[in-house]
Amino acid sequence: MKALNCPGCGAALTVRSFGNAVTIVCESCHSILDAKDPNLQILQRFKVATDEVRPLIPLGTRGKMRGTDYEVIGFQRRTIEVDGLPYSWHEYVLFNPYKGFRYLTEYNGHWNDVSILKALPEVHPYGFAPTVRYLGESYRHFQTSKAATSFVLGEFPWQVRVGEAAVVSDYVSPPRVLSSEQAGNEVTWSMGEYITGKDIWKSFRLSGNPPDAVGVYENQPSPLSSETKNIWVAFAGFLLLLVVMMIGFDMIARDEQVFTGAYRYDSNQRGEASFVTDEFDLRGHTSSVEVKTTTDLNNRWIYLNYALINEDTGKAFDFGREVSYYHGYDSDGSWTEGGQNDSVAVPSVPAGRYYLRVEPEGDPGYGVTYYTITVKRDVPQYSFYGLALLALLIPAALLTWRSLSFEHLRWAESDHPPIKWGNDE
Amino acid sequence: MMRSLYMLYGAVVMAVLGVAQFQGWSLARVNEVKNVPRSIRDNPGAYRSIYSSYHHYTGGK
Repeated sequence: MKALNCPGCGAALTVRSFGNAVTIVCESCHSILDAKDPNLQILQRFKVATDEVRPLIPLGTRGKMRGTDYEVIGFQRRTIEVDGLPYSWHEYVLFNPYKGFRYLTEYNGHWNDVSILKALPEVHPYGFAPTVRYLGESYRHFQTSKAATSFVLGEFPWQVRVGEAAVVSDYVSPPRVLSSEQAGNEVTWSMGEYITGKDIWKSFRLSGNPPDAVGVYENQPSPLSSETKNIWVAFAGFLLLLVVMMIGFDMIARDEQVFTGAYRYDSNQRGEASFVTDEFDLRGHTSSVEVKTTTDLNNRWIYLNYALINEDTGKAFDFGREVSYYHGYDSDGSWTEGGQNDSVAVPSVPAGRYYLRVEPEGDPGYGVTYYTITVKRDVPQYSFYGLALLALLIPAALLTWRSLSFEHLRWAESDHPPIKWGNDE
Repeated sequence: MMRSLYMLYGAVVMAVLGVAQFQGWSLARVNEVKNVPRSIRDNPGAYRSIYSSYHHYTGGK
């Protein structure tokens, strides 16, 4: 560190970069001085009466970036104009006598660790969004704008001036961003990597908390993108397991017919219509019982009150089934409604000796309906596979939607915003 | 973190599915009645199904 005095105001200047700086800005009078001139010639004076910015990391603060100690020696604010509105970000110049310079940028609580590239990226300027390739990675064009320096402080390794402008193009591949800055014929490429304010505060041992990050930044890594991929991989695994389970349960299901009986119901006949079937045994573990009704209905309905009764325990499973079948022809053509057959799965029926109590009902005047009742033990129920699939799909779909929303917010700020559906006005 | 939670959730879904298949669960509307008298076998009309007052469909299109 070297002590000098500002030729503009006489204030003490602290030079931290051991002669590596090209310009120094006086913190008192904001004169921009030529650091290479022994007399510190004043290159520019700028007024900061109303828009002086205090760096979040004070000049002279030391911290460790990627295992190397750096000192903050310079600070500048740069401003772009988009749709007539100014947007500003801050840049910090870091210096290490052995490693040289690197930079930190901050915009709305989003930070980037930036270093100058030593090789030129390969630019592909065509297509909807131009891309650049660097070290095998592809970066998509995000934004091009004219950035002007609006405030400076400390030391800089270039001839800094307030008001100087450069065309800045950003290409993103989160968490990295490649930026080209063109001033005159000179183009400088740099690479930034997203870093959280919390990590910056930790690296520079700053007191308090960093400002909260607002919105989604151009190269901010989506907290959900890798999670989304992982969850779809897990979903595929569960889907496979679901298929294996379906095949397995299909193979071990008894699917055993334990009773069948053919019956006749005459709705014109008065008297008690209810009857009981012969007894049948339900064997094996507690499982489903399928009761299938097959009829000869034709433009009619029949309703069957069923009770599957355990002869030993007196426990009954009571349920009703309507079977109706209608068909005809009208101006739209032929139509059908319902069907002649019906089946229902009675859930979780323990083993035992059972019979069915059946009470048919129908409109008087319909006449005779012939129907067959078939009872099967332990029949696979496929509806639960559908429900399980839905249960597995919903979280994965929700996460994907959230991840897409994040990307939507990111690109909404770019030169290539996502297509807007509907009218905003 | 999210993946672990999803794996746990998925394991629970698969376990419930396994139990549902093994136990023969069904979405059908079935009412369980206890202590049905043995006399039903001789007099089926003495039993009143809770579904006997169900509104019946009365005709097609």
